[in-house]
Amino acid sequence: MSRPGFAGEACLAPTDAKGLSTMFAKLYDRLASLTLGLWLIGGVCLFLAVGSFSGGGAEGSSINDLPLFRWLKETPLTVSWWLWAAIALLALLALNTVLCSIESVRMKYRRTGFLILIAPQVMHAGFLLIVLAHLFSAWGGYKQMMPVQEGGMITCPDGSRVQVANVSATMGPMGFPTDYSAEVRAMAGGREEVRTISPNHPYFYKGFGFYLKEVAVEPYRAALIEIHREPGAGCAFAGALLFTIGNLALLFVRRGRGDSQ
Amino acid sequence: MKWLLLCSITLYLFGAHKRALFCAGLAAELAYLAVRGIALGRLPLIGPHDTLVFFSASVAVMAIPFCFTSFLAGSRRFSWGAGLLAGLFALLAFFIPSFAMLLPPILRTLWFELHVALAFFAYALFGIGALLGAMFLAGRERPLLDLQYRACLVGYSFFSASMVAGGIWGYYAWGTYWLWTPKELWTSILWLFYALYLHLRLKGARWDGVVAWGGIVGFAVTLFTYLGVSMLMKSSHSF
Repeated sequence: MSRPGFAGEACLAPTDAKGLSTMFAKLYDRLASLTLGLWLIGGVCLFLAVGSFSGGGAEGSSINDLPLFRWLKETPLTVSWWLWAAIALLALLALNTVLCSIESVRMKYRRTGFLILIAPQVMHAGFLLIVLAHLFSAWGGYKQMMPVQEGGMITCPDGSRVQVANVSATMGPMGFPTDYSAEVRAMAGGREEVRTISPNHPYFYKGFGFYLKEVAVEPYRAALIEIHREPGAGCAFAGALLFTIGNLALLFVRRGRGDSQ
Repeated sequence: MKWLLLCSITLYLFGAHKRALFCAGLAAELAYLAVRGIALGRLPLIGPHDTLVFFSASVAVMAIPFCFTSFLAGSRRFSWGAGLLAGLFALLAFFIPSFAMLLPPILRTLWFELHVALAFFAYALFGIGALLGAMFLAGRERPLLDLQYRACLVGYSFFSASMVAGGIWGYYAWGTYWLWTPKELWTSILWLFYALYLHLRLKGARWDGVVAWGGIVGFAVTLFTYLGVSMLMKSSHSF
């Protein structure tokens, strides 16, 4: 059986191979260049700015109601083009960040102190993890809001059930609730688990977060519950932690210095 | 107690060329903030009046260490410029009525206070960076650019920490560390812009002018993120 690709390679003259390798070296240099990184950051900024004024990125758009990739799939390109452009540039920027980090370590290895070598790379790693977190959330995020009467049940997408009980609210002088909470009951490890949820205090169960958005006490007690699954949260937190550690290390090594080394 | 704020504005605008008067202006403004805080029972970080005063005080607080650096210790221009910056924002706050809003339950968390306070410290340092950039462009003295870099690097660190605090708060409050709103988009733009600024330094001395302008443009982006988005666009982060 003939192998056309192999035959093609066999025919490659040494000068062609050299030309190809020079071309790849040039492409690598271009992709690993600081200048490209600067242009890409500028480009991402530009498209996000356009998006903030357009229908897609503006408050009230449906972009926050769906996982991002689903929103991108369902939204006409005339509305979502700025986000596609920003994502494309961000992907290139992620690649540029990896290559710049490799080049930086390669060039400075054993020529500079460990902290000054590693701190910016740790920040870069944090940035990449945050980008990855957005990717996870854009792919597998889930969000649903539902009103539930006291005693009512919430069924999760995986079929597990959570009961809402003891909805309570403290009303302020203007008639608005100044504080509110509800109890949630779920089966965990063969026994019933009871937790109180309130603003800033959600309940996490089988990968889902249960958030109390609002309550009503009349004509009957009910709670507005939002269920979330944010698969990128852990990765985003790890990225933020890495970024902060790298940042602190950078501040430490730069203390008392103003130069641009 | 608005006389304390008026006193502070006067000292900033007319006495900041003397460091002692600049510090007195800051003391008066901090006293005003303390009185507001005690009256409200929380950090005064909500509404245009309180945030502008907090921003103005942050500018003055962050400017003081720079006033005592060896290069700027003898310079009246810097403390006058910083006083002008702090004074103008305090003056803007003076004409905006203050109100005592009951804090919604969602805002009653340390993460919110950290998120906002750190953001204003960052904004203040970006303002100082812009001032130092303008001074560099006027006189081409290299140490000014080094100080601008330090202001922006520390500001960027505060801003990153503010974004982390905001993300943690968002996750516990709304179930997500990120929402596609104009304010969040502009926050990302600001964060990316200062990342660009910090990397611009690596291009070498030939880019000094661009770096100085970068610090100035960055502060314009800061002001749009803080004031422009709240005034011109509909956002959950609005005042």
